[in-house]
Amino acid sequence: MCFLVLFLALGVMAPSLWAAEQFKINSQELEKNKRLMDDPRPYLTTTLAYKKVLPPELYSKLTYDIEEMKKLWAECVGFRAPDEVGKIAPEIKPGTYSYKDKAKYPGLKELMIPMYYEFFKEGGPPLAGSYAEIKVVPTRQYYWSLPVAKATKEGMGRVQLDDNGIIKEETWVAGIPFPRPEGKFKANQVIYNWIKTPLWLDNYYATSVNKGFTRTLRVDQEMVADVMYLTLKGRTRLEPYGWYDERAKKNGELSQMNFFYQAPRDMYGNVISITGYMEPEKYDQMMVYINALRRVRLLSATDIQDAIGGADYAYVDNNGFGQKLSTTIFPYKNEIIAEREYLVPFSTWDGSEYMNAKGEVYNLEWERRPMYVVKMTQLDKNFVYSYRMAYVDKETGILVNVENFDQKGRLYRSTRGQRPFIPEMGMFGMGCGIANDHLDLHTSWTLGYLVPAPWLTRADVSLRGLVIKGK
Amino acid sequence: MNKKKLLISVLVASLTVLTFSSAIAEEFSVAGRPLKLFGYATQEVSYGFSDAYDTEKGINSALMNLFVESAYDITKDLKFYGSGMLSVDWIYQLKCNDSSWVDKLFSKSKGNLNVDDKYWQLLKEARLTWTPGDFMFRVGKQIVSWGELLGFRIMDQINPLDQRRGFLDVEFETTIIPIWLFRADYYPKITSSWLQDLGFEFVYNPNADFIPNQDLMAGNAEGGIWAPNIPIPGAHLATAVSKISTPDRWKEGNEFAFRVKANMLGAITTLNFFYGRDNSPVTKLIPPFMSPIPPDILASDGALLLHPFQEGKYPFFKYVGATIAKELIPLRASFLGDVAPTIYLEALYAFDSTFTFTNPLFPFPVQRFGKSDDFRSGIEVTWKVKIPALNARTYFSFMGEFFYRRIMDYPSVEEIAGLKKNNYQTFLNVNTQYFHGKFTPSFTWIHDINSNSNFFIPKLVYDFDYHWHFTLGGQLFSGAKNGQGLQLFDNKDQIFFKVAYKWG
Repeated sequence: MCFLVLFLALGVMAPSLWAAEQFKINSQELEKNKRLMDDPRPYLTTTLAYKKVLPPELYSKLTYDIEEMKKLWAECVGFRAPDEVGKIAPEIKPGTYSYKDKAKYPGLKELMIPMYYEFFKEGGPPLAGSYAEIKVVPTRQYYWSLPVAKATKEGMGRVQLDDNGIIKEETWVAGIPFPRPEGKFKANQVIYNWIKTPLWLDNYYATSVNKGFTRTLRVDQEMVADVMYLTLKGRTRLEPYGWYDERAKKNGELSQMNFFYQAPRDMYGNVISITGYMEPEKYDQMMVYINALRRVRLLSATDIQDAIGGADYAYVDNNGFGQKLSTTIFPYKNEIIAEREYLVPFSTWDGSEYMNAKGEVYNLEWERRPMYVVKMTQLDKNFVYSYRMAYVDKETGILVNVENFDQKGRLYRSTRGQRPFIPEMGMFGMGCGIANDHLDLHTSWTLGYLVPAPWLTRADVSLRGLVIKGK
Repeated sequence: MNKKKLLISVLVASLTVLTFSSAIAEEFSVAGRPLKLFGYATQEVSYGFSDAYDTEKGINSALMNLFVESAYDITKDLKFYGSGMLSVDWIYQLKCNDSSWVDKLFSKSKGNLNVDDKYWQLLKEARLTWTPGDFMFRVGKQIVSWGELLGFRIMDQINPLDQRRGFLDVEFETTIIPIWLFRADYYPKITSSWLQDLGFEFVYNPNADFIPNQDLMAGNAEGGIWAPNIPIPGAHLATAVSKISTPDRWKEGNEFAFRVKANMLGAITTLNFFYGRDNSPVTKLIPPFMSPIPPDILASDGALLLHPFQEGKYPFFKYVGATIAKELIPLRASFLGDVAPTIYLEALYAFDSTFTFTNPLFPFPVQRFGKSDDFRSGIEVTWKVKIPALNARTYFSFMGEFFYRRIMDYPSVEEIAGLKKNNYQTFLNVNTQYFHGKFTPSFTWIHDINSNSNFFIPKLVYDFDYHWHFTLGGQLFSGAKNGQGLQLFDNKDQIFFKVAYKWG
């Protein structure tokens, strides 16, 4: 989703090869091909199609036989999504529906996630992100790339949870840990599938643009940020495979990234460095290069609940759910409260979706998806949320929607994401996303684009990276 | 004068164009490379409450800043960053015919404080950064910032500061004056389990242009509204007649600085070394020490205006130091919101620093330059705490600092003006945010323990959007000991309002 919203907000590339070995696309190039607002261009199948953007050898390396991917992934999860849906409100067929049709098609209410149904309306204040018209398409089978699917298959039956439902890291090597969730900790397994989802690439460079809207839909924020991300464990698509290096193995490091702001002016030159760790009880390490100070400063790794820079998400909402499951740090009691199909804008493959000035989102492709609904009840009464409702796609493990409720039980923040699917790569792109603050009545709308970055090394996401990328 | 007016007109016109041209506000492509252009314009007005000789009741400053910065990636390893700024205090135009303003000699400070028109004031930074492999080389007019504390400046001694306009900076980011430096960093690849990052930083100042601290100046005719009120019975301290020797460009005043940076065991640590010159001069009074100078012999309140006669120099300043920053995760408490405190420590030991020793036993000020080692240290604790009764959604951020400075060889009979053997100060800042981060109230308190004096800054910032920002605040001083510490500014209580438009 524009979960990217979250991811990138902690906080922006057409083909412009800066150097043969270090290609990336900047925000200017992204906006040239796809503006954040009112732009229906299908950039992902035209100007910014990966086949066009990536060097041929890299594109070739990251593409696989589609039928083989479909077959193997169906073996992993035990089903194909098109076979699992169509039972609820079967009268809702592929086609275009307007919010004015809600009375005519009562089945839509049954078929849609309640919050989505509320947003199925004409656009306007106070929250952006409504759907005045939806395009329903037939359900498609989604799958992961061959390396991810192979790693998943190899891990089946091997990946374990402990007696508290916490993953035994030594048992997970790569891939989706629990392609067929089951047993006492089934809900935890569903959440781990999201936490461990190899959503993007092992090394990537991404760029994103974001707008914030007040309760009158006045734009009060415009942000541009880039991210360089290095996966340190469970690598399957870019060398080195498995662990990135010995250091990561010794230190239990999962990931390292630098997130740097390009705009607005006050944020330009701020760089945040985050190192993620495997241990459930260990906080990530965060450092920041502060532009005004020209100085690197240690950030509190425990300061994860405040909204990030005027946006509609906190660090704990990173990528929808930015936490580790733990028995000591904000522990959750997870339970599956529904296992059913929903009509959701899961993925728009050509990137033609857009938002207009009324806050209406168009061109999303809605399809019936088999999903888990997990209620995550927070056991620490001082946490920002009392519980979260997570809607997770059964076939891919992807978190589609998360609704977060404050300690008074009021819907506080929600993130809705749809990620473009790149069929020949068995990969999801960044795309766009919506984050709403239902109490302060504010919305963030984000568009992002990523490219694989085999050239990325530790030097780019380390102290050196902070200093070089900082103002 | 005409030159200044022309300059102002051009820049104001530029500001107008930039402000209303969104095309300029974003990003360009020059020769296929990205060029970013940012900037801001601010207009601040302050209103004083006292009608003493050293201040002005009513509007006493109307400061405008126009700041433009650009970043251009020449190649993937070679980047340019430049910034420029124009500061104009319109109060000198607004009050040019105000009798009180003129009688108190504030109008005479126009040359210093009306328009910042020196090249190094207009040109902030202009630097090239080259990043081959594990190295980084940066050359040009730049800022090198050391240290950990945000309130007190201990280790951060390379660049001079501009504090002519008081404690509320012109703009925080631009109070530090960029100077001509060469910097080289080396970051070796680290494979250790306990050491995550290591960096070596070398800085060389060839003294291409000697730019010292721009301190508060004595006397209304020089220091303007911020001239300190130094008590002299029956008189006021007027502008100094100074002979300050400065290091010759290129030949003298070369500075060397070296720092080792490490991210280890969850802490960021540095070891620092500096050899160079103090950015502020040491001065001593010379005959005739203090004297009136015609034609302004008497102040507007009838008191005598005494001008100090002094000579001085920028002494050598050399120190070793260390910093450490670490989050104390075990101290996180659920009922406080589960955020752990982070501590920042820094200390330096300076060798053979030069001070002005004054012998109080003589009826007239006998001063000499003396030397002493100088120890400076500070600790900062930042802690975000949730107080639901006051703010249900956003944390309160507390930042407290304690500063300790010891003059190791403090003279037994003589005194050092403004310093005791042991000196203590504290700093506290509290802030939070309301309405989705739109309103940020904050309160800052600086306390000088030795002089039992205080400086309070209550402030409210309203961020309308990413372009427009409004600030309402106050500066309040108090002191128990006349003529000591922050009491020198007791008459300068004021409120201020600032409008800022930012683009890019």
